[in-house]
Amino acid sequence: MIRILSILFMMFVTLAVTASSYAAEKLQMGVSVDVVPIGSDFSGRDIVIFGAIEDADQPALFRGEYKVIIEVIGDLEEAIVRKKERIGGIWVNAAARKYEDVPSYYSVLSGSQINDIADPSLLSEKGIGVQFLKARPADRSNIAEFLTQGEFSTALRRKRIENGLFAEKPEALQHISPSLFRATLPLPPNVPIGVHTVRAHLFLDGRRLDEVTKTFEVRKVGFERWIYDLAHEQSFLYGILAVLLAIFTGWSANVIFRKN
Amino acid sequence: MSIYLPIAEMSVNIWILFGMGAAVGFLSGMFGVGGGFLMTPLLIFYNIPPAVAVATEANQIVASSFSGALAHLRKGTVDIKLGLMLLVGGIIGSTLGVYIFSELREIGQLDLIISLLYVVFLGAIGTLMTVESLRAIQKSRQNGGAAPKRRPGHSGWIHKLPLKVKFRKSKLVLSAIPIIALGMLVGILAAIMGVGGGFIMVPAMIYLLRVPTNVVIGTSLFQIIFVTAFTTIIQSTTNQTVDIVLAFILMVGGVIGAQLGAAAGHKLKGEQLRALLGLLVLAVCVRLGYDLVVTPSDLFSVITAAEAGGH
Repeated sequence: MIRILSILFMMFVTLAVTASSYAAEKLQMGVSVDVVPIGSDFSGRDIVIFGAIEDADQPALFRGEYKVIIEVIGDLEEAIVRKKERIGGIWVNAAARKYEDVPSYYSVLSGSQINDIADPSLLSEKGIGVQFLKARPADRSNIAEFLTQGEFSTALRRKRIENGLFAEKPEALQHISPSLFRATLPLPPNVPIGVHTVRAHLFLDGRRLDEVTKTFEVRKVGFERWIYDLAHEQSFLYGILAVLLAIFTGWSANVIFRKN
Repeated sequence: MSIYLPIAEMSVNIWILFGMGAAVGFLSGMFGVGGGFLMTPLLIFYNIPPAVAVATEANQIVASSFSGALAHLRKGTVDIKLGLMLLVGGIIGSTLGVYIFSELREIGQLDLIISLLYVVFLGAIGTLMTVESLRAIQKSRQNGGAAPKRRPGHSGWIHKLPLKVKFRKSKLVLSAIPIIALGMLVGILAAIMGVGGGFIMVPAMIYLLRVPTNVVIGTSLFQIIFVTAFTTIIQSTTNQTVDIVLAFILMVGGVIGAQLGAAAGHKLKGEQLRALLGLLVLAVCVRLGYDLVVTPSDLFSVITAAEAGGH
């Protein structure tokens, strides 16, 4: 009897595990670089994000029903939006709004329009997508408080999109096989320095199943880093150096051209 | 060929910047001016952040004024005592200027004030210069000979001020008050506008202080070296906006252009040169003034807290 019960129990556990495995899909992800160095010749760079969908429901997987959205998020910082007004005939910065925890860089990579992958209400709740940045979850930031859909926050998004700092790329992600995907992120020449977070979300039938996070760092290297650090940490010495360089250049010019 | 500017944090074309430096250097060599008043607006038109453009330009002017002042020192056309006294005012003015600069930057009005100052000063000086030189050209045509010697304006009250100091080189006895005040004014402008201030210093020395013309340019250049060097150091420590890479490209272009410009300048008459420079100054003034008045294509601008300088 106990034997029969234990066999039944085992069957139940197995069934339970099998049933729950429907919702136990896992995302794995890697980024092609840990550090993006900015040197004197930096003019943007492509980085590759690749990954795999594991423990997926095989029929759904082979029908291509699993969708991945990748967010790339730069350092959070304060941003000030100013609006010009005509005062006494000239255009003057008048009203201003300050936003906290705005990503210095924000890019969304997917295989199709994100609104086709998940319902806008879910995207809004999770803060996925340029227009939904306001709804970043509380643990990540308090953007929700600040980024309302007013003219200032609209201008903030528009300016950042124009500068290439905010972007949605609905064709950047390709599936190499039913379970493997890769996406190319073209970092613009003005990509901000700092630690960038790469977060991939897995969707099936509009439901969000899993997410995975990795980071990479954009940093100045070599001469550029040395100059930048010196200017910020030893600013007096930097000023002296700038003056000495100027005097040397002026003196050289004087000596070289005097002979002519 | 593009190069990354570590302080401006942008990728720029090195040849465009070099060309800008050379072109402005050519004009400054031809007209005997520093060129900061042309370079700073050009850098801003090229999308260099105004705060970086202004501070970096001060650094570049150290190179061009040093190169120019060396030539004048050799010729003995520098009144060092007068230069040092102007410098005292210059240092005070520059310190004040950098402070005003940081405050304006924080409240978001720096770009506006820079533009307004340019429009006012370039408008006034450009008009004076053009009118004066056109008159001189007219007179020299009527006389059919050389242009008449310019007569200094009336400035009797300046010579009645106390604290008289004797300047042997300039053969002048002058009160220290207007000298230090002039130095201060130019120091403030150097810090806020990213100029050496020669375009104000030179006419003020000729017309207000009645300094002999032969020592005016050398003395002005001599004190500009120190005021802009001081401004560079103060901007570096206060705002961290001096881009040494940008400055170096402009310096090299500038000193080469200046040599070519000086050679070209010898072929033109003094009043023709002044008329051309006057028109050029007016053109920059109109361009900047137009931007202030015309409805901008985008009313909004976005900056980060770091760019606003609020730490």
